[in-house]
Amino acid sequence: MQPVVLIISLILMAALSAVFVAAARASRGPAPGPGASAKRSGLIWVMTILGVIVSVASLRDWPHALAGTGDALEVNVSGGQWWWDIDTTEIPAGKPVNFNVTTEDVTHGMGIYDSSLTLLTQVQAIPGYTTQITYTFEEPGSYQILCMEFCGVAHHDMVNEFEVIAAEG
Amino acid sequence: MSTVSENYVPGHAAAAPQAGAVKLTMVLSGAVFALMMAFGLLMRAAQGQWIDLDPALFYQLLTAHGAGMVGTAALSGAAIMWYFCGRHLVLSGGIFWAFLGLFLLGVVLILGAIFIGGYGGAWTFLFPLPALSGGAWEAGAAAAFMLGYTAIGVGFLLYYLELGRRIHARYGSLVRALGWNLILGREDNDPPPPAIVAAAAVTIFNSIGIILGAAVLVASLVHLLVPGFEVDALLAKNLIYFFGHVFINASIYMAVTAVYEILPEYTGKPWKSNRLFAIAWNAVLIFVMAVYWHHLLQDVVMPPWMLVVGQLVSYFSGIPLIAVTAFSTFLYVRGSRMTWDLASSLLVLSVAGWSVGSVPASIDGMISVNKVMHNTMWVPGHFHTYLLLGEVAMAFGFMAWLVRGKTISQMDGLDRAAFVTYLAGAVGFVTVFLFSGAASIPRRWAVHYEEWLSHDRIGTLFGGLVVLGTLVFVLRFAARLGRREG
Repeated sequence: MQPVVLIISLILMAALSAVFVAAARASRGPAPGPGASAKRSGLIWVMTILGVIVSVASLRDWPHALAGTGDALEVNVSGGQWWWDIDTTEIPAGKPVNFNVTTEDVTHGMGIYDSSLTLLTQVQAIPGYTTQITYTFEEPGSYQILCMEFCGVAHHDMVNEFEVIAAEG
Repeated sequence: MSTVSENYVPGHAAAAPQAGAVKLTMVLSGAVFALMMAFGLLMRAAQGQWIDLDPALFYQLLTAHGAGMVGTAALSGAAIMWYFCGRHLVLSGGIFWAFLGLFLLGVVLILGAIFIGGYGGAWTFLFPLPALSGGAWEAGAAAAFMLGYTAIGVGFLLYYLELGRRIHARYGSLVRALGWNLILGREDNDPPPPAIVAAAAVTIFNSIGIILGAAVLVASLVHLLVPGFEVDALLAKNLIYFFGHVFINASIYMAVTAVYEILPEYTGKPWKSNRLFAIAWNAVLIFVMAVYWHHLLQDVVMPPWMLVVGQLVSYFSGIPLIAVTAFSTFLYVRGSRMTWDLASSLLVLSVAGWSVGSVPASIDGMISVNKVMHNTMWVPGHFHTYLLLGEVAMAFGFMAWLVRGKTISQMDGLDRAAFVTYLAGAVGFVTVFLFSGAASIPRRWAVHYEEWLSHDRIGTLFGGLVVLGTLVFVLRFAARLGRREG
């Protein structure tokens, strides 16, 4: 997802920048005509309609939806300054995993990275709460848990790993 | 060379109440901006393994950089808005001096907490981290840091109390100052100018933000003194991010008054309040307080409707910015025959940078995107866009205007070189952050993996250009302050 997000963002940012450059150059051109107000109204409508479409499309399936407990593997992860503890070291590929995440001290962020250091998903670990996310690993291999929320002087050392193994059968 | 347009006579341009206090504030702001940028440069160089920084010192610099940049953005924004509100209101100089004094007291406490006490809990002081340092700092250092925030907050409350009281006295009510007569189509022979509409809105939302921030500061201080006193961590996080989000946004909304008041001198067209402008500012008043949930999109125990509101408002708050402020800037500039000196160039750049920075922010505000972008370098990527190229550019533009004199001239060689250096540096710097975010590099890590070093090193080079451009802006401002207008 990240490359797509980057490309869309850079295109929109470049387009908006180009409009500003054009406006600056137009300071030597003619003054705005009577249609400027209609253009502004049109822009507001386009932004509103686009926003509604994108919002509905991106929220129709709830991004934090959890797999049913009967279908998913339950994995408990706890964090503390500055360690992660995972109650299993091998997770089968292709099966939804519900991560139940807790912290023993301050707020941490559990970010799951694949072997190419791409962030797959994350959730905050909040004192006094159990936070849950579901993720299905498609590829066997080594995965890492990195801390995504600043938690003190060894924040960058708060790393652990687990293996995803090929599904049986 | 050109001069003020024949069409526009700036009726209050000669009035400069408390200009000395404002100029002093801008000198201090410029110096602190430069110092904090140097801290940022050190951190990027350390991440790139070009210099060796102990992680404890890295996180102290991170804390100083965050608190210092946010605080100075707010300080400079407050000075700008005070200056321009002084064209329309009679403001007490004593209050501004008290505000500045409390701010400097806060700075001393914060710097002492960090560089003497070793506090490195980040500017967000996320509960209960200040009390649980793992041996890196003592409770006294954390308390000094939070007392520093408290002093600054008290100063800002005094500032807003004075503004609110004077606006009320001049316009009868904050509701009228927010432009509700314009919105409702009622006759108003003395409508509030844009700077007053902005001041009324910021006074309301930043006072609320600071009061809620004070509540969590007091709770955190009590927790430091009495560890048995517990606070719900999620509630504390909500209060901290409400305060933090509102406070940093207020800095931009205060500084934009420089655009409203200065650009007309160049375009010859006064920036007037109208119905759409008033609607936009009233929308901002609500949006800026409702959007902070986009900081908690991965706190999945939050009620889902709050996260949905966070996503929706992240996007829709871009409409008043782009369709009103940015679009109006296009219209004011188009056909104006304006002269592009350092002040006008930086001010137009600031609206562009603010608007462009809203794009990656809105996209990160989508819950599904946030899952893989939250707390990566994407986040400093978008907020550095609308700070470096937005608020800070507004502050530098205001400073350039303050020492411009009465004649408007095209940029000379040094100004042009500094502007291009700053622009190229800032664009490169934030673009590297965005690429780093897309490469999943986590933010706020003192030590980076080998795979990430090329990002850090390119970012460091661009950061060096930003610091260079900033030094020229600030030194130029300081050197010209003492000169007579000409």
